Amino acid sequence: MPDSTKEGKETQAQISRRRFLSYLGGGFILGGFLLQGFAALRSLFPKVLYEPPTKFKVGAPSDFPEGVRFLPEHRLFIIRNDDRFHCISAICTHLGCTVNLAQYSPPKTYDSTSGKPVSETFEFHCPCHGSKYREDGNIYAGPAPSPLPWYKLYLAPDGQLVVDTNTSVSHDFRLKV
Amino acid sequence: MKKKIKTFIRNLVWTYSPATEREASDATARNFLLHWFPAKTTTRSMSFSYSMALGTIIFALFSILTITGLILMFLYVPSVERAYWSIKDLEFVVPYGWFIRDLHRIAAQLMVATVFIHLMRVFLTGAYKNSEKITGSYRPLNWWIGLALLLITMMLSYTGYLLPWDQLALWAITIGDHIALSAPLVGPAISKVLIGGTIIDQNTLIRWYVAHVFFLPVLIFMLLLWHMWRIRKDGGLAAVEALGIERIKQDKVVAKGKTYSLMGITTGITPTITQYRVRGETVSSSPYVTRRILMIFVMVTAVTMALAFFIKAPLEQPASLMWTPNPAKAPWYFLWLQELVADTTIRIKGLTISGGLVGGIVIPTFLFLFAGLWPLLDKSTDQAIGVWFHKSRRLQNAAFLFICAVIIILIYVGAVMRGPYWHIYMPWQQWIKMPTRF
Repeated sequence: MPDSTKEGKETQAQISRRRFLSYLGGGFILGGFLLQGFAALRSLFPKVLYEPPTKFKVGAPSDFPEGVRFLPEHRLFIIRNDDRFHCISAICTHLGCTVNLAQYSPPKTYDSTSGKPVSETFEFHCPCHGSKYREDGNIYAGPAPSPLPWYKLYLAPDGQLVVDTNTSVSHDFRLKV
Repeated sequence: MKKKIKTFIRNLVWTYSPATEREASDATARNFLLHWFPAKTTTRSMSFSYSMALGTIIFALFSILTITGLILMFLYVPSVERAYWSIKDLEFVVPYGWFIRDLHRIAAQLMVATVFIHLMRVFLTGAYKNSEKITGSYRPLNWWIGLALLLITMMLSYTGYLLPWDQLALWAITIGDHIALSAPLVGPAISKVLIGGTIIDQNTLIRWYVAHVFFLPVLIFMLLLWHMWRIRKDGGLAAVEALGIERIKQDKVVAKGKTYSLMGITTGITPTITQYRVRGETVSSSPYVTRRILMIFVMVTAVTMALAFFIKAPLEQPASLMWTPNPAKAPWYFLWLQELVADTTIRIKGLTISGGLVGGIVIPTFLFLFAGLWPLLDKSTDQAIGVWFHKSRRLQNAAFLFICAVIIILIYVGAVMRGPYWHIYMPWQQWIKMPTRF
């Protein structure tokens, strides 16, 4: 092999033309496969989702009775307290089941953490793994790791209530109408 | 004439009858299908009380699943508008559609169960143990392939569970998706690629359909072939290792230097193989092994068909995110995981770790990794290879059976004792009445 002595003297700074071209060719082949692999993988992460909007109108405030109303198609509860409204998600924070509404009349009384008796007219119970939430969405039994989120409510120009499920709000949020 | 009729009838059922041992082994070497088997099989490998033929049973079930699955592909439409109604058609309109669907479902459930029992058999007989020192075979590799096969079997049955697009399917997938979501950092990305968005819809259905009918079956088939080929490379089932140990002890390594040629590929000799088996302990694979495999196939088919007649595949209301069935249960082989996710939420002061992460990801992953590492950690003697409940493996067998028992108890609790709102109900207690929705 006449080339062997030449190749033996190769240093890192200086490589033979043959080797350079073979690296280049191999690199392009490898790069091509990597690019194809990336394209295949990337295509599985959708860029556009044809899903229902996260902001939607749920009806005029006057449509809602005093107390709690479940909107199954949006998986949330609208709670009306005289002229004040708030909205609680119906998606259990444990593994995503739709929680059921449990209503109590006469109201159910329990001792709050401070020891004072509190009464409530409804609770949320998850059918999947038995998580139980108070009427403010706080968890008191079962495996759910966090309270049910509250969603932002506002009025559209036409006077309808709008829910924004992308924005969580604190438990003192009330929309006054 | 009488003899001719007799021969004719005989030829209809079993045309093959080798006159000599030589003829039998020749057949194995020449026939492509028979080539899968060695010319000779040790009677010990064939012992039913050792292996319980679980591997063959699984392969028979897999064959039933492949055939019924292919037929179902003609009848099922993977779209959210039509999936549910094509299953309804299978049940009520397609001639014998109900039977093909029930057969597919029963075979799938039996396969999950048999794969699990197969794993138990291999563990309790110490068949995964490394026997490199004795015969040069490397059995842990087949244990790892087997674990992968278990995982793919579970994935196949889970992806199949979604396809009817009914309430049962939707909520099982919702729970699975939220388990993935509860993984730290990578959770949302995994969930996004699994369901193809943020809500379970057409993207999810088509992804899981393609995985169920193409990617997973191809993968499981390739691994199956590798799994079976490894048994031959390892010199038969682990039960024959004891034979080797005996021979070496008695210094009866006979016919050292026996050579095998690769028929039809090369001429001359190939490497020598130490021969320690003696006449009388082996039989010709054809017809003894082939006949038995045929029998097992017939029996498995018969049992599966009989079960399919009596056990109906359920179909609940069409999938709807608006309400969750109460109680919503996973298929039985996942109920132990559902029990775990329901019971393992950890609360330490302000810190809460969801049961989805602990019971749904951490515990199963840990169990799986531990099972994978076990062949490397097991330091019991070589005498324990391929022996049921060997005394040197008493402690690990007990620990293994304990884990199996816990899983089975969790499945029982989930299946029988959990009622509405996941409350515990004793078998004799009445469930509270839940309002039915339409």
